[in-house]
Amino acid sequence: MDLLGYGAFFLTTALIFSLVTLGLNLQWGLTGLFNVGLAGFVAIGAYTSALLTTPDDAARLGGFGLPILVGWLGAMVVGGIAAALTGMATLRLRSDYLAITTFGVAVVVQLVALNAQKLTGGPFGIGFIPRPFGSLAETPLLFNLSNLAVVSVVTLIAYLALEHLSRSPWGRVLKALREDERAAISLGKSARFYRVQAFAVGGAIMALAGALQAHFTGFIAPDNYLPILTFQVWVMLIVGGSGSNLGAVIGSILVWAIWAGSGTLTSILFPPEQQARAAALQIAAIGVMLCVILLIRPNGLFGDRPRRSRFSKRAKIAAGESSSGS
Amino acid sequence: MSLQFVVDGLLTGSMIGLGAIGVTLTYSILRFSNFAHGDFMAWGTYATLAVVSAIGAMVGKVAPIGPLSFGWPLIVALIVGMAFTALLALLLDKVLFARLRSQGQAIIVVMASFGASMALRSLLEFTFTSRPTYFSRAIQIAMPVGFGIRITPDQIALLLLTAVLVLGVHLLMTRTQTGRSMQALSQNAALARIVGIDVASVVRVTWVIGGALACVAGVMIGILVQIRPFMGFDMLLPMFAAAILGGIGSIPGAVLGGLIIGLAEAGAVQLIGAEWRAAVSFIILMAVLFVRPIGLFGVRER
Amino acid sequence: MSEIVLDVRDLEAGYEPGVPIVRGASITVRKGEIVVVLGPNGAGKSSFIKAIAGLVPITGGTVFLDGKDITAAPAHTMVRLGLAFVPQTENIFPLMSVEDNLRVACGILERREIPARIEEMYAAFPDLVRQRRTAAGNLSGGQRQMLAVARALIVHPKVLVLDEPSAGLSPKFVSMVFEMLANIRKSGVTILLVEQNAKAALAIGDRAYVLVEGKDRHEGIASELWNDPVVAELYLGQRPLKSEGGSAA
Repeated sequence: MDLLGYGAFFLTTALIFSLVTLGLNLQWGLTGLFNVGLAGFVAIGAYTSALLTTPDDAARLGGFGLPILVGWLGAMVVGGIAAALTGMATLRLRSDYLAITTFGVAVVVQLVALNAQKLTGGPFGIGFIPRPFGSLAETPLLFNLSNLAVVSVVTLIAYLALEHLSRSPWGRVLKALREDERAAISLGKSARFYRVQAFAVGGAIMALAGALQAHFTGFIAPDNYLPILTFQVWVMLIVGGSGSNLGAVIGSILVWAIWAGSGTLTSILFPPEQQARAAALQIAAIGVMLCVILLIRPNGLFGDRPRRSRFSKRAKIAAGESSSGS
Repeated sequence: MSLQFVVDGLLTGSMIGLGAIGVTLTYSILRFSNFAHGDFMAWGTYATLAVVSAIGAMVGKVAPIGPLSFGWPLIVALIVGMAFTALLALLLDKVLFARLRSQGQAIIVVMASFGASMALRSLLEFTFTSRPTYFSRAIQIAMPVGFGIRITPDQIALLLLTAVLVLGVHLLMTRTQTGRSMQALSQNAALARIVGIDVASVVRVTWVIGGALACVAGVMIGILVQIRPFMGFDMLLPMFAAAILGGIGSIPGAVLGGLIIGLAEAGAVQLIGAEWRAAVSFIILMAVLFVRPIGLFGVRER
Repeated sequence: MSEIVLDVRDLEAGYEPGVPIVRGASITVRKGEIVVVLGPNGAGKSSFIKAIAGLVPITGGTVFLDGKDITAAPAHTMVRLGLAFVPQTENIFPLMSVEDNLRVACGILERREIPARIEEMYAAFPDLVRQRRTAAGNLSGGQRQMLAVARALIVHPKVLVLDEPSAGLSPKFVSMVFEMLANIRKSGVTILLVEQNAKAALAIGDRAYVLVEGKDRHEGIASELWNDPVVAELYLGQRPLKSEGGSAA
């Protein structure tokens, strides 16, 4: 019974990660937009929903005690707007600028979460976030299973919607733009608008995942949204194979299994005072793993990006780009 | 407000600027944003610290130089650390970046640098733990220099060191064949090969300069603030913002961008509090991207 | 007949393996000659000459320079081997001064030889002297072409290879560029050029080849080739617009 409960708990977390990875796959896999600050968008969703749904708290703004569904919608809207603004600032420039800006977004969101006590509760975070099946908390197994059911349904809806989107004309335009960054920039406003849309929808999905997680644990704090989160999700997408929604989901479950498994292992193998060091080693190992996958199997398990040869057309474009001055 | 922020800002700006030189060179010559650059800083600093300790163990306590907080061992260690960091950068390029570069997808290289950054930083945390450490625990007396400004001998020495290094790199870039080759490569890689420039050797020089300067910037932070595994990662956003503000590829721009961000940070710390310091670079970055994405000294991509 | 400087045999080259753009082209260039390579659009002229310069991967055949096999030599070693290449476009470093553009190409020269060599280039291209501190990106089209040629000549190449030197230039500059090439030949430099502007190129050339679908289909004395019926059919007949030959690249 215990094992089943743990299994449900594990799978719930893994599926929430899957949702973030699906959002990233829309941004990176389908559209080629590089987001190294996704932890920031997840945090925006979590805090927005927490703020909207928690009971009134004298120490900070809100909460507004609204229904959970309103919180989730609010999270998507705010996350989507934040992503759209980020996109608008950078999508007429080379992709590196988007990378740097998203990185900055995550830093600033982290800063606000830590320091804007009136809004976010500061380092102690926000508690008493309503849970969808809070009344079942007495029987952990039932509680875990119902959480899993909710998260599964949301992930499935997101998955089907994204599958549909990537096959639609809209998705085909995005793929075409992904193949040729130069064209995407030079095609001007219309192409840029497509990319902003994709980035915003991706951001909204990440924010929704953040909100789900918040309502699933009932408590959030700035520590949940460190760069390590961004890193985990990237590894999940790369392992699964960027461009594939199925790969995003399976990669997330797989990497989360490795992560949780190696975490359990280090906690057994190392004495408590060495735990922090062991955790660092775990991160280093996974960082190396990411680099190795990029080197030897850049398509991951299910990726759709053809590996290009040294002198392919694309390489020619890249060479032309580098020869056109800085 | 007190004018002390000028000194604080110039010092922070020096650290940012020295780091941003590496960022801007990597971007303009290798054409990718290196997210592992901050971790070069941290590795260089820990390497320097290790050498200082080793010298200390061998020759015992060494008297500091004049009014400074450190003696010759730190200077020797810094030089060793610079060489070490340069080698680290070369090694990382050889095993990772160069291979991905040859596949022709720049953004994959950025992602790999992000992964490498995580791995490098975590290895430091594993080896040295996340507890902060210091080159010296001695407290220096700050001397008043007028206008309500106080400055320590260490701070003066480090500002001078920055000026010398920046001037040196500038002369290297503009007056030597190596520097001209680097400029040529950043402007037109194909033509650079045609005129006989060996791209591989220019790339090596780029990593050596970027790595060595990152180490100096890190050691400055170590002397004036503290040494932590995250010290470099936390500098990443200010360094990127400085490189973009100055105009990608421009070394004077990177340094000026660093000084502007350093001064703005120091001013913000006085006005609204230290906890918001990190937001300053982001605001400046966004302003540059919206108003003048090519930066102060940049040239439009054609 | 003078000795052969550049000998290209059955060259095959292309960006993708299995998709050659150059399919077995052979030419020879003798010392002191101007050799012109002509061909209809898409004949692989540009890829052919870039492959010789080491910029397009070679998949078959050989290139000999002064009797030495340079087929596999990387692009950056070409100047040292004696082959200087002038690309069609983007052939200067726009943000560097004219003087630095010349100097950056002097990597293989003796250090003390460089200042004098730069002065020699200024003497040969007096238009550049006044602009020596100007950023090369601010030069006119004709001056850029001069700078690009001067930069290639500065290293005493055994053969100067040019990819459509007249492309994109106004008619005034076109005649100026060809006059310049004729003068360079008089000073003893061997020249190989690819041209779209057949009439002007044949007027200064000694011999010419016509490249069709990646192969050399015809060879002849430059002055006779213009009236050759085979060439007319192969090349002139397919020329899109007679007067725009120079800019149709």
